[in-house]
Amino acid sequence: MTGVQKRFGAVQALKSVDLEVAENEVHGLLGGNGAGKTTLMNVLYGLYRADQGEVEIDGVKVEIGAPRDAIDAGVGMVHQTFLQIDTYTVTENIVLGTENLGGLRLDLAEARARIVELSERFGLAVNPEAVVEDLPVGIRQRVEILKALYRGSKILILDEPTTNLTPQEVDDLFGSIRAMVDEGMSVILITHKIRETMSVCDRMTVMRNGEHIATVDRSATGPEELAAIMVGKDVAAEAEEGDSADGALVVAGLVGEEGLGDHHVVVDPTQQDGGLRATGLRVANDHGVTLFEDFSLTIAPGEVMGIAGVAGNGQVELAEAISGVRPLLGGTVNLGARELAGTRGAGRPTIDWLSAGVAYVPEDRHRDGILPTRSITENLLLGSQRSAAVKRRGLLDWKTARQNAVEAIATFSVQTSGPNALAGDLSGGNIQRVILARAFARKPRLLVLHNPTRGLDIGSTQFVYEQVRHAASTGCAVLLLSEDLDEVIALSDRIMALYSGRNTGEWLRGEGDRYEIGRCMTGLVKNS
Amino acid sequence: MSETTTTPPGAGPQPGEQLARTSGGTLRMAWAVVPYFVSVLLAFVAGGVVILLLGNDPFRAFESVLTTSFSTQFGLVETMHKWVAVVLCAYAFAIPLATGKFNIGAEGQLLMGATAGVAMGIVFSDLPMVVLLPVVLLAGVLAGAFWAGIAAFLLVRFQVNEILSTVLLNFVSFAFIDYVASHVWPDRGAGHPATIRVGEGALLPRLGDAPSVHAGVIVAVVVCVLVAIGMRRTATGFEMTAVGANLRASLVHGIRTSRLAGAGLVVGGALGGLAGAIEVAGVHGKMLEGMQSNFLILGIIVGLMARGNMVAVPFVAFGIAVLEVGASSMQRTAQVPVEVVLIIEALILIFVLLSDVVRDRLRGAS
Repeated sequence: MTGVQKRFGAVQALKSVDLEVAENEVHGLLGGNGAGKTTLMNVLYGLYRADQGEVEIDGVKVEIGAPRDAIDAGVGMVHQTFLQIDTYTVTENIVLGTENLGGLRLDLAEARARIVELSERFGLAVNPEAVVEDLPVGIRQRVEILKALYRGSKILILDEPTTNLTPQEVDDLFGSIRAMVDEGMSVILITHKIRETMSVCDRMTVMRNGEHIATVDRSATGPEELAAIMVGKDVAAEAEEGDSADGALVVAGLVGEEGLGDHHVVVDPTQQDGGLRATGLRVANDHGVTLFEDFSLTIAPGEVMGIAGVAGNGQVELAEAISGVRPLLGGTVNLGARELAGTRGAGRPTIDWLSAGVAYVPEDRHRDGILPTRSITENLLLGSQRSAAVKRRGLLDWKTARQNAVEAIATFSVQTSGPNALAGDLSGGNIQRVILARAFARKPRLLVLHNPTRGLDIGSTQFVYEQVRHAASTGCAVLLLSEDLDEVIALSDRIMALYSGRNTGEWLRGEGDRYEIGRCMTGLVKNS
Repeated sequence: MSETTTTPPGAGPQPGEQLARTSGGTLRMAWAVVPYFVSVLLAFVAGGVVILLLGNDPFRAFESVLTTSFSTQFGLVETMHKWVAVVLCAYAFAIPLATGKFNIGAEGQLLMGATAGVAMGIVFSDLPMVVLLPVVLLAGVLAGAFWAGIAAFLLVRFQVNEILSTVLLNFVSFAFIDYVASHVWPDRGAGHPATIRVGEGALLPRLGDAPSVHAGVIVAVVVCVLVAIGMRRTATGFEMTAVGANLRASLVHGIRTSRLAGAGLVVGGALGGLAGAIEVAGVHGKMLEGMQSNFLILGIIVGLMARGNMVAVPFVAFGIAVLEVGASSMQRTAQVPVEVVLIIEALILIFVLLSDVVRDRLRGAS
């Protein structure tokens, strides 16, 4: 295999990008959000059609018009969201879509044998008979990789594969990747985490704004240099100045395990006036299965409580329960002197939680956060449409609302043409800025953030961190649920590991190391 | 929108850059209005081809379709009367649609409103107009709201699909008015299932010399203004829009979505009922089988064409009313079957919906 080259003209998403991946190579594809990494790979996999450009595999030019062509050419891709049928077994999911199934009668024995063989060869342990919906994310990802291998992929694209994995699972995955390249495959790893790139990639290509910036050998570079290339000079320089602690923090979070600025005030957890006090919570998931049983959580005003955990261990349920979105089956929640759920039966309606000062920044911004077809003004108004501040003579006063929106756009640096722009037209980072602007406009007393920086570029991530700091400094209690352990460590005054709805360990700032927290995220209880 | 570059679909260099976000209101307005004109034009061209294939003169046909409403006062009156029912049925569809619910029961709600109105008009036929007329209209509103309320209750309480329940309730209403018209207050001499006439006090007054429009037009105009204000300027209206835009996000932000969806259905049904009462009090003076005409389908067409914009509804409804009135005169003068107009209406709708796709393509090569 000599190389893959792609070129585009006209389209801004990718400005004539070249990429060459060698045999036996793990190639890291780095860049911030919107850099064009995923777009480029979607072209290679046939999901997008390139306007211009060529793909060569093993020195032969190939036309890739659809994923089918890509698969035939030996290209496999594992997306961030898995395309699996929940009620099918692992084997059925892997075989699905391959052609020779032998007419009406499915003979899966042979397929199963091959899957077992593949999974042993590459260290991707999985039970071929397990039903996919019962499997955790890490295993489902293995299924997805096996699917690509089963179809004879020589080039495997992994799109942000480590987002939902524990440190241990990441190590396992990287082991499997090495086994694959040792057998002559090529692996392209899309990521924006520099540390993991350094640990597994042979070479890396950095992209920014749809352009190829640099391709470097691992031996010839270091994390700091990569970070600088990735973000461009301005942000990195700002971070180096040192007085901007937030910039330093972001780079620290991305680069490695350096300590953080000690500007955090350690809050006395016994002083609870005004903070969140939730005790004996009983919360069920969407299928009615009780996930939290007698779960308690207290956050003092001005304290940032970080919940570390692998996705699917109850983060969504906890965030929604604490935000008043998901009904509680039991337990009490008090915010300051106000009882939001408690002895007098079920909790209050969501609107009462909002008016008590709970602001929720949901994980799924598009699904839970915005009205895509409505203007920014309307989006900012959502949730406070009944407050007197935006009313005149009983009717909504759009003039005031629009003025507020203009201010919010300026304060939160939302890149848009103005308050009338549709929220759905904004980029992910700007949508998050709108959601934060809305949350802060209510002067929250409890801020619930779930994966607040997922998918954001460094500039926006930095911005979110600043805002969280700012909120805490004004006495707001912050609950941060994040699957990015670096982020949790960077921001939190206290950290709790969450596994399957249980608290498996708590640390004060600076106490736990990544691996100890990671172990508790997999269900081991912290020895105290 | 005079000096703005209003590129119709098909033309337009770099539309990606100049889309509505940059120069704001005017351009956005142009993006919203131009597709309508293009769609209407295309629909008439396609309709003309159909008429040509039928062996008739399309220009003569279109002349009578488009001018009947304006060439005689009678035509104008008929158009306004049509408009009242169409616009109310369009709201009956569009308001629940704002919350993401499909009310396909406007004709049932109209018939129930008519039944209630006619019942009041007959039972209390001796009362003076100042008392009886409001009672008739109010009864229509309540009956329509009640009829849609059944679907709303089933939806909120048991998650019964509102499309099914509203459609099925239409059939119940057919049987119901048939019973009322042939057994309760039948007019034996009519030769067609119909009730006897309501009392004089139940009739909407006429405005001006005959042929003149009934005062229901004023009622409808008031409704239009109230709906526009209600959707745009009240918290409830905003919440409805929010629920229609993203149900999950609305729920997360404290809006009681299912209650609101039910309320949308009830309000829509109330307006459908009002349409029925006005038909009784302004047009027929009684209730008769088949009085629902094709208002259901016209209301849906108008509601879809307006695409959630409550201000657009009355204008679109007026255009449709013109076409509908013109249709019958076209049949007389150009021997073209009335159904051709329905074809054109449907084509306009299809082209308007299609224009979304075209516009998105034009805008977003990005």
